[in-house]
Amino acid sequence: MIVGTQKPFPEIWEMVQGFKRVLVFGCNTCVAICHAGGGKEAEILATMLRMKAAEEGVAIEVKDLAVQRHCEPEYFDQVIEEVRGYDLVLSAACGVGVNFLTQRIGNVPVYPAINTSFYGAVPKAGVFVELCAGCGNCVLHLTGGICPIARCSKSLMNGPCGGTDKGKCEVSKDIDCAWYLIVERMKELGTLAKLSEIQPPRNWATARDGGPKRIVLEHIAEEEAAEVKK
Amino acid sequence: MYVKKLMTTLGIDPARLEMFNLSAAQGPRWAEICTQFIEKMRAFGPSPIADGLRKQKCV
Amino acid sequence: MTTMKSGSNLERVIASGQPAVTGELGPPMSADPAEVVHKAHVLKGFCDAANITDCQTAIVRISSVAAAVIAQREGLEPVMQMTCRDRNRIAMQADLLGAAALGVKNCLCIAGDHQSFGKAGKLNGHPGAKNVYDVDTTQLVGILKKMRDEGLQQGGDKLQVAPKFHIGASWTPLGDPLDFRPVNLKKKVDAGADFIQTQGIYDVELFRSQMKKAADLGCFERTAMLAGIIVPKSAMMLKYMDSSVSGITVPPALIARMAKAKEAAGDDKKKMKELQEAEGIKIAIELIKQVLDIPGVKGVHVMAIEWESALEPIVKGAGLYPRPTFADA
Repeated sequence: MIVGTQKPFPEIWEMVQGFKRVLVFGCNTCVAICHAGGGKEAEILATMLRMKAAEEGVAIEVKDLAVQRHCEPEYFDQVIEEVRGYDLVLSAACGVGVNFLTQRIGNVPVYPAINTSFYGAVPKAGVFVELCAGCGNCVLHLTGGICPIARCSKSLMNGPCGGTDKGKCEVSKDIDCAWYLIVERMKELGTLAKLSEIQPPRNWATARDGGPKRIVLEHIAEEEAAEVKK
Repeated sequence: MYVKKLMTTLGIDPARLEMFNLSAAQGPRWAEICTQFIEKMRAFGPSPIADGLRKQKCV
Repeated sequence: MTTMKSGSNLERVIASGQPAVTGELGPPMSADPAEVVHKAHVLKGFCDAANITDCQTAIVRISSVAAAVIAQREGLEPVMQMTCRDRNRIAMQADLLGAAALGVKNCLCIAGDHQSFGKAGKLNGHPGAKNVYDVDTTQLVGILKKMRDEGLQQGGDKLQVAPKFHIGASWTPLGDPLDFRPVNLKKKVDAGADFIQTQGIYDVELFRSQMKKAADLGCFERTAMLAGIIVPKSAMMLKYMDSSVSGITVPPALIARMAKAKEAAGDDKKKMKELQEAEGIKIAIELIKQVLDIPGVKGVHVMAIEWESALEPIVKGAGLYPRPTFADA
C-alpha cells in the first residue's frame, strides 16, 4: 500500500489561511491503514483546525468528509457537487488522490494534508516499512524476494558496498543492509550461486526516470468505450 | 496519551484533559472528581479557545 | 612481457613483478589548485601512482578528474576515482573520455559514501542531494572494459578512439557478510577489473583467510591485489576505526601497543602526538611486510589521511624505496 504521514499541523494551518470554507477530505484505503488520512483522521484534523481558528480568532468554516478511495472516480463522483461547494479542499488522500481530484473538481484548489512517502507494508501495528520502488522491471526472483532497489540505500545490483556494518546500512543503524538480507535469504533457499551472475546496467526507463507512465489495457478500454456508445 | 499530544500542538495545556475510570454506582466519587477538576480548571483560567471565542464576539 | 592495457606506470610496475605502492591524495574544498600541487610534490617518488579521491564522504572538493590532471602535470601519476553516487552513465562515460583525452590512465570504480555522510561535524554537506547510483561498481567496471576493449559505449554506440584504461575496483574483504565478500570480488574481477585496492587491513590473519578463499575462486589469475594500509595516528583513531568504520577490524593488541606509546609521553601533549605517530609509522611498515607475504597480494595502497608526508618514511622503512622507473617513461 501507499504509506504517508500527515503534514505537521503548523504547515497545514498555514495552507488554509485566507480560505473561508474548507473541506478536509479523507480516503479510507491506504492512508487510513497508516492512520494518516482516513475518515477518522480527517475528522480529527478538521476539529483541530476549528479549535485553532477559535484560538486565533480566525473566521473559517471547516468540515470533513471521506470516501473509500480517491484513485477511482466513482467514489468521489458521488459527492463531487458537495465538494465543489468549498473554497479549498484539503485532501487527506495520498498524492495520487490530490492529483486525480484536481483533474475532476473544476475551479476549487486541492491542497495536500499528507506527505506521501513510499510503497510499503505493516510488519507490526504502527510500523510501516518501504519494500518496493515501483521500478517497472521486477527482479525479485533473482534476489530471494528482497528488493535491492528499494531497500539498498544505493540501489546496488551486484552485492553489498563496503559500508555494511553488522548487517546494517551505513546510512543508519535502523536500516537493514538489503544485501546482507539477500545473501542470508538465498543461502536459506540454496540459491546463493545465482548471486555470482553479473547483473548488467539496468534500463531505468521503466521507472520514473523514463517519464510519467500511462498503461492502457486495450481489452477493457475498448469494452468500456463500446458500453458508453450504447 | 495521543489526544494530549494533539492539544499540545494547538497550544492547549494537556493537563486540561484527564481520563477517569468509574462505574455508574460510584456517585460520590464522580461528584468528588468533578469538584476537584473544576477547581483545578478555575485556577488554570480560560483556555486559549475560550479566549479566542470571546475576542471574536467583541469584534 | 604482457601487452599493456594502458601503459600506465602502475600497470608497468605490477607487470614487472615488483610490489606496487599507491598513495592517496585528497583534493581541497577550493578553486585553488595549490594544495593539489603541494600534495603531489610530497607523494611524488614514493609511490607508483596516487589515488585522487572523488568527493570522499560526499563532501564537495575539486573533482577527481580535474585534480588527477593537475597531479599528473606535477609528475605524479594519478589513479582517478569515480563514484557511482554522483553521476549517471552518460556523465561517467563523458568524464572518462575526457580523462583519457587528458592522459589519465588509471581509474578506480567505487560505490561512494552515501550523501548523508556529508553532514558531519561542522560541515553541512548535501544530504538532500539526489541519489544517482545509475550503475553500481561492478557495472561501471564493465562499462570501462567495454569502452577500452570493444571501443563501444555502454549503450552500444562506437567510440572513434577507445580510451586505454587500467581498470581498478575496491574491495572490503572483512565486511559483512564475510563469506560473501570473496564472491563479491569475483564479480568485479569477472567484469574486468585489472587491479583491486582494499579497505584498510589491520587483522592480517583474517585478511589472509579471505585472500585464500578469493584465490580459490580464481580472482587473482589476471587481477592484481593491492592491500589497503591506513596509517594510524593514535590509539583513539584505531579505536574509532574498529568500532565505527565498517569493514575494519583492529586487533586489541595493536590498540594496546599504541596506547602504550601514548603513555610513555606522560602529560606532554606534543610528545604524545610524536610518539603515537612514530608508532603508527612502525605499525604501517610491519603491516606492509606482512601483507606482501600473502599469496595474491601484489602491492599496497597506503592511506596517510591528511598526513601525506608519512608516505616517505613508510616506503623507505618497508624497503620499497626507490620506486621502479622505466627507461622509456
